[in-house]
Amino acid sequence: MIIRAPKDFWSGLMFLTFAAIGLLAASGYSMGRGGRMGPGYFPVALSAVLALLGAILVLRSLVLDGEGVERIQFRPIAVLVVCVLIFGAMIPKLGLVISLSCVTFIAAFAGRETRPLEAAMLSVVLTVLSVGIFVYALRLPLSVWPSF
Amino acid sequence: MDVFSNIALGFGVAATFQNILYCALGAFLGTVVGVLPGIGPVTTVAMLLPISFTLEPTSALIMMAGIYYGAQYGGSTTAILINIPGEASSVVTSLDGHKMARMGRAGPALGIAALGSFFAGTVATFVVSFGAPPLARMALQFGPAEYFSLMLCGLIAAVVLARGSIVKAIAMVVLGLLFGLAGSDVNSGVRRFTFGFQGLADGIEFVALSMAIYGIAEVAINLERKASEVAVAGRVGSVMPSWADIRHCIPSVLRGTSLGSVLGVLPGGGALLASFAAYTLEKKVASHPRTFGEGDIRGVAAPESANNAGAQTSFIPMLTLGIPSNPTMALMIGALMVHGITPGPRVMTDRPDLFWGVVASMWIGNLMLVVLNLPMIGLWIRLLRMPYRLMFPAIVGFCCVGTYTINSNVTDVTVMAFFIVFGYLCLKLDCEPAPLILGFVLGPMMEEYLRRALLISRGDPTVFVTSPISLGFLIAAALLLLVVALPAIRKKREEAMVE
Amino acid sequence: MKSAKVLRSLVFAPVMLAMAGAVTFAASTGAAAQTYPSKPVRLVLPYSPGGIIDYVGRTVAQHLSTTLGQQVIAENRPGAGGITGTDTVARSTPDGYTIVIMDPAIVINPTLQPSMPYDLFKQLEVVSMISSSPEVVVVAPELPVKNMSELIAYAKANPGKLNFASAGIGTTPHLAGELFKQRTGVDATHVPYKSIGQSYPDMMSNKIQFAFSSIAGALPFTTDNRVRPIATTGLKRSEVYPDLQTVDESGLKGFEVDLWLGIFAPSGMPADVMSKLNGALGEALKNPELIKAFAKVGVTARGTSPQEGAAFLKSEFDKWKKVIEDGKIKDN
Repeated sequence: MIIRAPKDFWSGLMFLTFAAIGLLAASGYSMGRGGRMGPGYFPVALSAVLALLGAILVLRSLVLDGEGVERIQFRPIAVLVVCVLIFGAMIPKLGLVISLSCVTFIAAFAGRETRPLEAAMLSVVLTVLSVGIFVYALRLPLSVWPSF
Repeated sequence: MDVFSNIALGFGVAATFQNILYCALGAFLGTVVGVLPGIGPVTTVAMLLPISFTLEPTSALIMMAGIYYGAQYGGSTTAILINIPGEASSVVTSLDGHKMARMGRAGPALGIAALGSFFAGTVATFVVSFGAPPLARMALQFGPAEYFSLMLCGLIAAVVLARGSIVKAIAMVVLGLLFGLAGSDVNSGVRRFTFGFQGLADGIEFVALSMAIYGIAEVAINLERKASEVAVAGRVGSVMPSWADIRHCIPSVLRGTSLGSVLGVLPGGGALLASFAAYTLEKKVASHPRTFGEGDIRGVAAPESANNAGAQTSFIPMLTLGIPSNPTMALMIGALMVHGITPGPRVMTDRPDLFWGVVASMWIGNLMLVVLNLPMIGLWIRLLRMPYRLMFPAIVGFCCVGTYTINSNVTDVTVMAFFIVFGYLCLKLDCEPAPLILGFVLGPMMEEYLRRALLISRGDPTVFVTSPISLGFLIAAALLLLVVALPAIRKKREEAMVE
Repeated sequence: MKSAKVLRSLVFAPVMLAMAGAVTFAASTGAAAQTYPSKPVRLVLPYSPGGIIDYVGRTVAQHLSTTLGQQVIAENRPGAGGITGTDTVARSTPDGYTIVIMDPAIVINPTLQPSMPYDLFKQLEVVSMISSSPEVVVVAPELPVKNMSELIAYAKANPGKLNFASAGIGTTPHLAGELFKQRTGVDATHVPYKSIGQSYPDMMSNKIQFAFSSIAGALPFTTDNRVRPIATTGLKRSEVYPDLQTVDESGLKGFEVDLWLGIFAPSGMPADVMSKLNGALGEALKNPELIKAFAKVGVTARGTSPQEGAAFLKSEFDKWKKVIEDGKIKDN
């Protein structure tokens, strides 16, 4: 078996995965009867269609030639995801100033040309700006400092 | 007809010092929250609700209306400049708008968005003045079956949004529909796809999804490229669209405005479709559709006009029927009731000053938005000169804060992290996210209307063809499917011939 | 005059908001108080801004600030049909600085939901009921009925043909409809909407025949008879619809549906804090301005002692539990 169109192959596989999750999760919901369509009907039908489309993509990728997938570089995406998760963990307790300055500082290291001093300065500027805009100008209910 | 005397009355009310002040305040605030990621018009109006109780009802409504259409305006700025659409409608704008910015044409993109919106707003103001009662009657013809068929039509149109493989585009629509189903089911109360997270009980937050895919996943992709490919510095080009640009866009603006004005009247989700439908229409009538998605100025002009026209005409069902088209309008109805004004057909006869004052203020507000925004363009463009290594941490930070502030819910941030990975994969695999977004927005509504229509008909599926409106949309959907599929089939055949 | 008013509100707004900001900060740092209340009180509104709860909650917060002698800050914590916001209060320290306003969903959710993050009767207690509001029965304009007994007769003559709208599964309009079906033996199909307001276009075109609607939701459509109000669901007639019979009057003895609101606190609050808070609420609820503000949306102020409130809560819990179980609503 030779994969001739890697982009199609992998996207087909991605759709199949989501279809499988959808079917699995929706199997617990009632399908309904007669005119009363249950909560399971739509998800199951959609998952089935998605599975079909995914299968078409996978099969086609074995027959027709297509583009290859660009190499995945782990550093940017990994750093960004971790950043966002850290923000989620910090914001409820530690407040905007600490969470945001951490996040923007770490995020800067997702790039290759990052200069630590510049990143630190940027995070300070952004945090001051955000506190100004979101907390003082827009009065959003965000705590600025840590609370315990 | 005494429409003109009514309009005169409206301008008399709207052009007082006080009301102009509130109109400007609303439009300005709306622009600000529209530009900022996350916080939208609903939150803003809600925050100002207690203050509005102390104002005169006309002023209060003028201010809230200003926030609403000002936010539509501001949203396109962020979509064009940094590719972060804060609302479903700006997703379409970002398709060509951000490409234009990358090509050094952010100025013309922002300019045409402003001018197109102003034109659309002016026309829509007249539509509201002359056509409110009959258009409101039209809106009442739409029941669950009609809305379902309309949405089906919209979904098929969504496939046209993508440039690449049609199978992938359809799969993305379907996946978007599935994502949209997460949360409590309206018909049964069952919580679907929440995987035990309390925070998912109300579904996946749109802003978390769109910022993850468009904002942060895009950053990850950009960081993989060499700096020179990403930077737009040095070639920011002209600030305003040229005459040639404007002439090129006139038909698109006209089509977008008419489509948006009509769809906006439908309270059950019409305005939502406006920008998507306008983009699809342009791509289909254009003689060289290949340039769409590659920074075609018509791909900014049409959806922006449609969106603004729709935003304006969506006031029709609220002002004349008392039916809110969206959460912001529901807030406005609440505010009016606290003032002892019951929204409905009687507002036009009992409080003509309020009705016509608000209508007139919309035109004034649109004028203000242009005056406010055109000079800003130069400033925005200067922002783009910032080196990317300084810009992307800012994007990430604003996306985080924006997503969190919507519900103060950590689950939304976690959901965003998940969709960053998903969006990254999609971009790597050439699965374009625009169809997914439309599926996501329409999915839950479509299911709701389908099940409601069948519930009311006691399971009889013929309701969808016995209603002429619904039948019309179904036929349109079938035709559209043909139009969508044909080029792909023809292309296949050509490729086969070559081989 | 006018511009002075404008100026005042323009100045007033930021100041008010600034106070709110400063106060959230202060509230989060505070130490144990000697004399309650020594710092601002947080009133959680577990729904999105703009609804009745939001309005009533903010009005109460404003007047309670005066009677309590301390700032009361209303804060929206929407999500999961009120469960998210209620849960944050159930988990907070019972010191009187975090309270929540809730509607009948607080007693309906435990029966309806498969799992709850908190235990209503163990983790929360009533500070005071604060308001009461009947629902109004509205019918499609084409339906040839003028009152409740005609509706029942018509429904019995057309079994299975009628639809009634609600604001979603397990909402008061839904359960009121179920209670109606159970009391009369009428067969009607429940059609849920996201909010009762969305059902009105379908009711005007007779796709939906009747609904138990909140008064605020019905008002835009009943003032010009685009839908017909036929009865209210309180035991006393509503001031908004004084000409309408109550359902109880028109033959269904004891049929009562109340869209009440109450203020709750985490269990285990010191007795003096509870009595201070209850007293301040009771006083605030007597304020004529508050009563006037409530009346605009068809709501009547009603203060209770914590004990009366707890008894009422239990009776409401039992009442809706029976309706949910008899109607097999969970099995859908």
